[in-house]
Amino acid sequence: MLAIVNGKMMPVSGDPIEGGAILIRDGKIAAVGKDLKIPSEARIIDADGRPVTPGIIEAHAHIGLGEAGIGWAGADVNESSDPVTAYARAIDGLNPLDTAFDEFRAAGITCASVVPGSGNVIGGTGLAIKCQGTIVDDMVVKNPTGMKAALGENPKGSYGRRKKLPSTRMGSAAVMRETLFKAREYLKKKDKAEGEDDVSKLPKHDKNLEALLPVLRGEIPLHIHCHRADDITTAVRLCREFEVPFVLEHVTEANHVIDLLKGADTHLAIGPTMHYGSKVENRERDFRTPVEVARAGIPFCLITDHPVLHGKYLTMSAGLAVTWGMDYDLALRSVTLSAAEHVGIADRVGSLEVGKDADIVIWSGDPLDYITFANYTIIDGEVAYQREVE
Amino acid sequence: MKNISTKVFKGATIYPVYGPKIEDGVMIVEGGKIKAIGSAKDVEIPAVEVIDVSGKVILPGFVDAHSHVGVWGDGEGSAAYDGNEMGNPIAAKVSALDAANPEQVSFAGAREGGITSLQIIPGSGNPVGGLAFACKTAGTIIDDMVIKNPTGLKGALGENPKRAYGQFFKKAPMTRMGTAGVIRDYFHQVKEYMAKKEAAEARAKEAEAKAEDAEANGNGVAPGPDYNPDLEAGALVMKGEIPFRVHAHRYDDIITAVRICEEFGIPFSIEHCTTGFKVAQFLGERGAVAHVGPGLFSRGKQELADADERNPALLDAAGVKVCLITDHPFLDSSYLLPYAGVAHKHGMPLDRVLRALTLNPAESLGIEDRVGSLTPGKDADFVVMSGEPFTYTSVILSTHIEGNVVYKRPTL
Amino acid sequence: MLAITNAKIHTMVGPVIEKGTIVIEDGKITAVGADVKVPDGAQVVDAKGRHVSPGIIEAHGHAGVYEAGNGWAGADGNEATHPITPQVRAIDGANPEDTSFADFRKHGVTAMHIMPGSANLIGGECFVVKHKEAATIDEMILLWPSGMKAALGENPKRVYGTQKKAPATRMGNAAMMREWLQKAKDYAAKKKKAAEDEDAKEPNFDMKLEALVPVINGEMPMHIHCHRQDDIATAIRIAGEFGVKYTLEHATLGHKVVDLLKENDVSCAVGPSMYFEGKVEVVGIGFDGPATLHEHGVHFCLTNDHPVIHARYLRVAAGQLEAEGVPGEDALKSITIWAAEHIGVADRIGSIEQGKDADLVIWSGEPLDARSRADVTMIDGKVVFERE
Repeated sequence: MLAIVNGKMMPVSGDPIEGGAILIRDGKIAAVGKDLKIPSEARIIDADGRPVTPGIIEAHAHIGLGEAGIGWAGADVNESSDPVTAYARAIDGLNPLDTAFDEFRAAGITCASVVPGSGNVIGGTGLAIKCQGTIVDDMVVKNPTGMKAALGENPKGSYGRRKKLPSTRMGSAAVMRETLFKAREYLKKKDKAEGEDDVSKLPKHDKNLEALLPVLRGEIPLHIHCHRADDITTAVRLCREFEVPFVLEHVTEANHVIDLLKGADTHLAIGPTMHYGSKVENRERDFRTPVEVARAGIPFCLITDHPVLHGKYLTMSAGLAVTWGMDYDLALRSVTLSAAEHVGIADRVGSLEVGKDADIVIWSGDPLDYITFANYTIIDGEVAYQREVE
Repeated sequence: MKNISTKVFKGATIYPVYGPKIEDGVMIVEGGKIKAIGSAKDVEIPAVEVIDVSGKVILPGFVDAHSHVGVWGDGEGSAAYDGNEMGNPIAAKVSALDAANPEQVSFAGAREGGITSLQIIPGSGNPVGGLAFACKTAGTIIDDMVIKNPTGLKGALGENPKRAYGQFFKKAPMTRMGTAGVIRDYFHQVKEYMAKKEAAEARAKEAEAKAEDAEANGNGVAPGPDYNPDLEAGALVMKGEIPFRVHAHRYDDIITAVRICEEFGIPFSIEHCTTGFKVAQFLGERGAVAHVGPGLFSRGKQELADADERNPALLDAAGVKVCLITDHPFLDSSYLLPYAGVAHKHGMPLDRVLRALTLNPAESLGIEDRVGSLTPGKDADFVVMSGEPFTYTSVILSTHIEGNVVYKRPTL
Repeated sequence: MLAITNAKIHTMVGPVIEKGTIVIEDGKITAVGADVKVPDGAQVVDAKGRHVSPGIIEAHGHAGVYEAGNGWAGADGNEATHPITPQVRAIDGANPEDTSFADFRKHGVTAMHIMPGSANLIGGECFVVKHKEAATIDEMILLWPSGMKAALGENPKRVYGTQKKAPATRMGNAAMMREWLQKAKDYAAKKKKAAEDEDAKEPNFDMKLEALVPVINGEMPMHIHCHRQDDIATAIRIAGEFGVKYTLEHATLGHKVVDLLKENDVSCAVGPSMYFEGKVEVVGIGFDGPATLHEHGVHFCLTNDHPVIHARYLRVAAGQLEAEGVPGEDALKSITIWAAEHIGVADRIGSIEQGKDADLVIWSGEPLDARSRADVTMIDGKVVFERE
């Protein structure tokens, strides 16, 4: 049992509690509030009046797939052999000993949604993990969280260069449409065969179509990478055509299509904002996008797309968003509870509430100030990182 | 470019860098220069426009000593990639000046980041990459923006040149040994070229002195070597006029850079110096100059594996002349200030960080007579911040070059 | 409600109205004529004697899929990875933020038939847009889908032949086009049978063939790119074999086979006639070609094949047509009502008539005078451009 006392509790799901305490039992938050009764057997960490928040959540990262500091041997982000690799699973390529996890914990990041890259039109499933562990299966919060897909320059560049379909935006959309159509037909055939209890009517096993069934059934969303306004529009058009759930990643030009997104019943992951315009389609990456999306009331979270921007600068991004006009509470929510909602794990993490996982950070100061350190990072009720002060 | 008018900035906390912080400061700007600076009680305020900057902080404009602003197109795709002249590992004759586009949006990003001068330098695809130059970050015609040209010759060690040539072009250099060999061979050729030129000049002088004999000798003096622009660039380095600025991340590549430069007796700076902290004392003993950055990056290559955010603080403490760089676009120019904040967070004292953003790079580039501190007589290049560095709420409100406002923070 | 008065109106469906009024309500033209009364409460725009014409229509263009100033990043018009790509759709690659659209509004061009390019034998699905300012391409749609792009001649055989793939010759072009139309015909037949007969098996889903079914069934026309007269004949031959609806695009040397065109009642989008002889198959390109078609009563319109020639210069092209002897009003029809008829939207745009969309332009001078400018451009009764 662990207790954090004397902290400025910032639960995200409610108002801050000065001089508050959290009681942790069996890896879960057992109590949050002022004047809690702390059992004698509890190990006590005194937060010394400093801010305490839920663990930071990075909702779109390639950590473990694109490992730090080892080059090609650790590059497992894109299964670039075919534009459709729905069968690929991030869990099978994730190395929990990627040294970047040390940096994540030291930055207060307790949970990450790891997804395949955007080289393919359909790239494979992603998962959400806690940022501590040796065997990835032990770190899973949710698997799969969604099916990664991509539009825009990346797929057409990757395959067009090799003179393979797709080489244009039209081609990418056609590939996605064809695959979803085939998946729908595959599902119909399977349902029919099962309904008639006739094994002979089952369609021939197809590893891509099989992997897409949860999307077609509405169980997991498509996570669609798109930067430019027309690619965002195409993503929405395709998903409406097939009535599948979806969330949108990066959405650099989301502020060009506010009305479309308001009516789209979706969630946005915006970022990496602190990046240069590496392509034509992301030339407008600056804080205008998240500030205007926030103003329009469209649900969103902020992301770094680690390692495009290192995940440890997620709270820096949120802080800078505040200086550009975003509401502070919303900015903190965008890297905690909103990120959890984007990934579909808000029942487990994202706020300091009784019953949720004890993923908690004690900070040296304002959590959104880049000058602040994480003093303690706690995952599932255990201290995963403790800062050494010289 | 300079603004002729006289303006007084009153009430801010000023960090002039040449000396201690000035509370309740007064800075008088005239004719694009700093005319006078000091605390309110020490400086007489003339009867001109007074701009009230109470509660704000004024710093010298930042000098980014290693940037690809204008030559690596931001948001323009490959049509605007002009940073690396690939094909021959020795590209000493090319100059970033010929590729820098002042209308490129990255210049606006630099102004937003508080950067008033920068060194624009070729990339690291070549072992010897070309000439760099220093310029202001606002203007229309690049030649009008130049402060000094050239300010260095780019070199590169480590993974980039051997990947570009060994893997892609399938020719030398393919290894670190090969890269060093190519650079050494180049400087030997430079020495030879210079010796031949000098000998030819000496002969010509002699012949002049014996003018009649020259005519009588018919063809006269044996000519010097053919003009070689690649070697001319190296000659500037050999003569000590500009440093060899060597890109090196891994600490052993940094040692190699020092070894080669000491062998040829040439001035140098280490670009990036990413794991230089491992040999901080070695570098400090030599009074080495390190252009440290980009900050806020991921360890995408093996040679970055041991990168550490304490690097600038550790190098500075050992006596290395540290300049904080963006290496735009690898850190977008508009985020130099948060990078500096992170360097401070990890142990570099505030006044050292500010110096690493201003006077150190100005000195490294040889432009400290013009910029790098708010010394009277220097250009009125400065940044107005909303509060004290470093905290996220202290942001850049405006950037000024030679008395002109070149950036004003918008409200979104 | 809006009324444009004192206008010299080029209705495209009758003689020019020297001084007339156009009444517009809810984006539609409700009245036009010399004696039309301005209704009470209508906002009046006094044309002050200036010419008014329907908005110019580009019958064959690639705006949005080949964007201005965006290089490779904005090049999405040719899915040149296989010669047969009927399953791709121009709408999925068209960027409404292509700066060309703003240009069009400035120059009185109000609609375009956006098509994939001509690298492929069957290039993909086309659609028609109005040049409204909109955040999404879907808001600009006038007709979707409009047809299936196809191509014969040098382009497909060059794109694939130089990679040592089929097609490498004109014979190869035709054979592959014929092969796929036949496959589509068989597929459509199987589907029809499966729908009618419970025991009949559905064919295996094939996205390419699926996309060709409406063409085979005569519901959607093929728009066949062909320049030289032999390719024109091949296009007509293949289309006839399969009984599909079609138009001919470019038909640069159509004037050499006028009788063939007349016999088959073909509609041709002719251009970009201002282009030079950059390929062998366009030797002879010029305005005498469409002038000849006009003389012989062949249905045609002009195209600039934007961006090969920018669509804003369609008036210049029409002016050149007039210079070849085509009467002025007919030259103007070739970039308005005949273009609308060619692409299948003549019920909505192309002429100034009661009931049609109020897509109009007020010109500073004569519409076909290259020195004239668009003073006011209107789409669906809204001013989308006004010169200061």
